[in-house]
Amino acid sequence: MSTATAPAPSRSSTHSTLSRLTFGGILRSEWIKLRSLRSTFWCYLLILVLNIGFAALVASVGVGSGGGPGDGSTTSTAAGSGMANATVAVTLGINFTVLIAAVLGALMITGEYGTGMIKSTFAADPRRLGALFGKAIVFGVVTFVVGLVSLVIATLVATPLLDSESNISIDWSDGSFWLALVGGAGFLALAGLISLFLGAIIRASAGGIAAGIGLLFVMPIVLQIFTGLTNAKWAANIASFLPSNAGGLMFGYSAGEAKVVDGIVTLDQFFGFLVMVGWVILTGILAVVLVKRRDA
Amino acid sequence: MIHAQNLTKRYGDRVALDHVSFDVKPGMVTGFLGPNGAGKSTTMRLIVGLDRASEGDVTVNGKHYSEHRAPLREVGVLLDAKAVHRGRSAFDHLLAMGATHGIGKKRVDEVIALTGLESVAKKRVGGFSLGMGQRLGIAAALLGDPATLILDEPVNGLDPEGVVWVRNLAKHLAREGRTVFLSSHLMSEMAQTADHIIVLGRGRVIADESVDKVLARAKGDGVRVRTPQVAELTPLLNTAGVTVTGTAADLLEVHGLPSSRIGEIAASQGLVLHELTPLAGSLEDAYMALTADEVEYRDTAAAPSTATKNSEVVR
Repeated sequence: MSTATAPAPSRSSTHSTLSRLTFGGILRSEWIKLRSLRSTFWCYLLILVLNIGFAALVASVGVGSGGGPGDGSTTSTAAGSGMANATVAVTLGINFTVLIAAVLGALMITGEYGTGMIKSTFAADPRRLGALFGKAIVFGVVTFVVGLVSLVIATLVATPLLDSESNISIDWSDGSFWLALVGGAGFLALAGLISLFLGAIIRASAGGIAAGIGLLFVMPIVLQIFTGLTNAKWAANIASFLPSNAGGLMFGYSAGEAKVVDGIVTLDQFFGFLVMVGWVILTGILAVVLVKRRDA
Repeated sequence: MIHAQNLTKRYGDRVALDHVSFDVKPGMVTGFLGPNGAGKSTTMRLIVGLDRASEGDVTVNGKHYSEHRAPLREVGVLLDAKAVHRGRSAFDHLLAMGATHGIGKKRVDEVIALTGLESVAKKRVGGFSLGMGQRLGIAAALLGDPATLILDEPVNGLDPEGVVWVRNLAKHLAREGRTVFLSSHLMSEMAQTADHIIVLGRGRVIADESVDKVLARAKGDGVRVRTPQVAELTPLLNTAGVTVTGTAADLLEVHGLPSSRIGEIAASQGLVLHELTPLAGSLEDAYMALTADEVEYRDTAAAPSTATKNSEVVR
């Protein structure tokens, strides 16, 4: 605090010629923001540790070498169900780490509303949508990459354990296995994005996180109880289209076939992905409308 | 150049700004004065598009703020000190802000040095004092080397050294031909910094003129005279166009005569003067007079009468 002398800020020419607001610049800005907060670092570290830890834990306990409850697996060969079990082991952590991704997604934007940072953000990008999409893209990509890296490491860690405990050898050339890993990372990113847009809609951290977790975790349970009590088909059908249920198919091993049996809808892996994208678009549109219209 | 035309902002039933029009010109410091709640911050938020006007329009250099290709280079704004994420360092905050416009580390280091934040730049903003937060806000405003600066209560929380620094900075930037618009609720602060003053009261412009004019009007022409011979002096001064009021046993306040003339009159009659002081009415007094009816908390107490009075004043 020693600078009280007369300032000398002449309009410097170094950055005056080319500098203007660009979407690339916004992306860089959002990346700097993301990496410069400790909370982001800890959340991603936790995602990494838990995904790897759960895989190691399950693999070390053993998952059964064939014919086990392979999460919707329809493959009947022993090798196929072995890979299905391996997939369950490796991606089990996703069911928990999606919670962290949802919290982080909401915090990406509610953290700015809570601290007043959003005013600086919107002053730099007064049209606002660049900032919103920039955040979404940076968060989505980083979450996807962290998720995928964690699942690949989880597989590497689980490989010897699965071999010794369950007599399953991981087949790295199995496309369905890779699809499940990519799907798991994609589920983390998309679930986080739904939460991010909910955060933009609600603006308060507590509310944004509650909405994200409510949609991802509470709604399915409520509907499950309701369906169990009333046997209502419509409730079961709504449940299949919830992000957690539809998105859960994204990291299944050859997860079933899309069909309608007896008035009850069953989705497959690809439809699960589409439903997740649909949720992201839906919440995204609502967020865009509100962010554009409201006072910051 | 900031051009506001019929700017109106309503929050539900409450009218925060009521058809406000003004221009803020480049090359000088324009002070924006008014009691708390007069609408100063709202106006500034409308200028940079953080809030949407209910009616009317405001442009910066001929365009809406959001229409500029490089908003941060057009307008630098300090709205809330600490419009910053508490968990981020000052350096990272500025770097992220600048990145949107391709402004790099070099300029970030420049504004950090300029605002004297070198020693704390890598620390998290959450631990900053009010003054340091203020300096960071000013650093962010200067980041784009903007042609227009909008600073809301910039001296808030600054130590005396910092206050002088902001004052000099504002004047310096104005001399470079920039538009400098700063708000305060302290007239004394404006008197030392601004060339032109816009006074806002309860969402309306109640004065828009040069500081010199406001000062001249505030000064009046009173002279305080202290003499043990009040009885002898009073009739001598009491001529046409002059009013003499006794404020104490040995004290007179004279209006309509310059102090030099009073001294001559007293001398010519051999009267003793103990004091002869031209009364410089302060800017503070002028401001108080201007805003006396506009202070918001009086609303509820005397709503009907003040409301009508205000509308008369403005019309």
